[in-house]
Amino acid sequence: MNTWAVIVGVAIVTFALRASFILFANPHRFPHRFRQALLLVPPAVLAAIVAPGLAMPAGALDLTLANPRWIAGIVAIAVAARWRNPLAPIAAGMPALWLLQWAMG
Amino acid sequence: MLVGTIPFGLVAGVASIASGLTATQGMALSMLSFSGIAQLIVCQLVAANSPVPVAILAGSVVSLRFVMYSAAVSPHVAHLDRRTRAIIAFLMVDQSFAMTTRHFSAPGDTTHREWHTLGACATFYVSWQIAVGAGIALGAQVPSNWSLDFAVVLTFIALLVPAVRTRADLGAAIVASAIALVAAGLPYRLALVAASVCGIAAGMSIEARHKR
Repeated sequence: MNTWAVIVGVAIVTFALRASFILFANPHRFPHRFRQALLLVPPAVLAAIVAPGLAMPAGALDLTLANPRWIAGIVAIAVAARWRNPLAPIAAGMPALWLLQWAMG
Repeated sequence: MLVGTIPFGLVAGVASIASGLTATQGMALSMLSFSGIAQLIVCQLVAANSPVPVAILAGSVVSLRFVMYSAAVSPHVAHLDRRTRAIIAFLMVDQSFAMTTRHFSAPGDTTHREWHTLGACATFYVSWQIAVGAGIALGAQVPSNWSLDFAVVLTFIALLVPAVRTRADLGAAIVASAIALVAAGLPYRLALVAASVCGIAAGMSIEARHKR
């Protein structure tokens, strides 16, 4: 039953956050500093998700050659910076990871 | 745009089964929250038997970026009635946010533009649910050496890199990455919260210094 409570709770909160300005508030009435902070949310949150996914695949920091994920991740970041197509990092990163895994046996 | 989310949806579906949710729960989570990363975080915390408020808090923190999207979209939809705005809000994700702002800022006929946006977002919603459903149906049958979960990280790289446009953005991203790694030992994914807050603070201090 706890699982259902989490599902409903997260559903309500995600909708409330999406609806915040669209339904309830006028963004032009908010202080400048607050809007500045909002603009920084995507780079900060996305980076905080990506970094552990690359550098600690097994739960501990691993930046050695035995961890192919951070290397494949660097490839994907370079590709994303060069080509703005949102598919490019996936198209480059997955084969890079498979190739590295295969090379390491 | 659509194609990139298929592996992500599959992963979200597989993850919900792998973390012990029933097929119904996995599908309900996906249809109600409609956010891949929130779904994955919830799965991780349910699997770890976290307390309910902690799981909801973690799911909310990763959804904070929707507030920014909401602020960006709101001037374009202010003229619409409440119900239409509620539907646009419900259907908003990272990718549809990009579609929405592009639709609304394009020159030309401005009448009925919201229907184009709604159509695009609804298509996205249905495709996402099909991908998640396929993931749930496959369950644990996807071989782990395919490393399909890495596609999720790559999806976020595809969103992160274009989001870094200024020096402050870059500072926020670097500080958030560092804190996320250093604080990784914190329970209940609190590292994500700490890293996000520190990253935003770092970005704001860079902006303040730049202006002087």
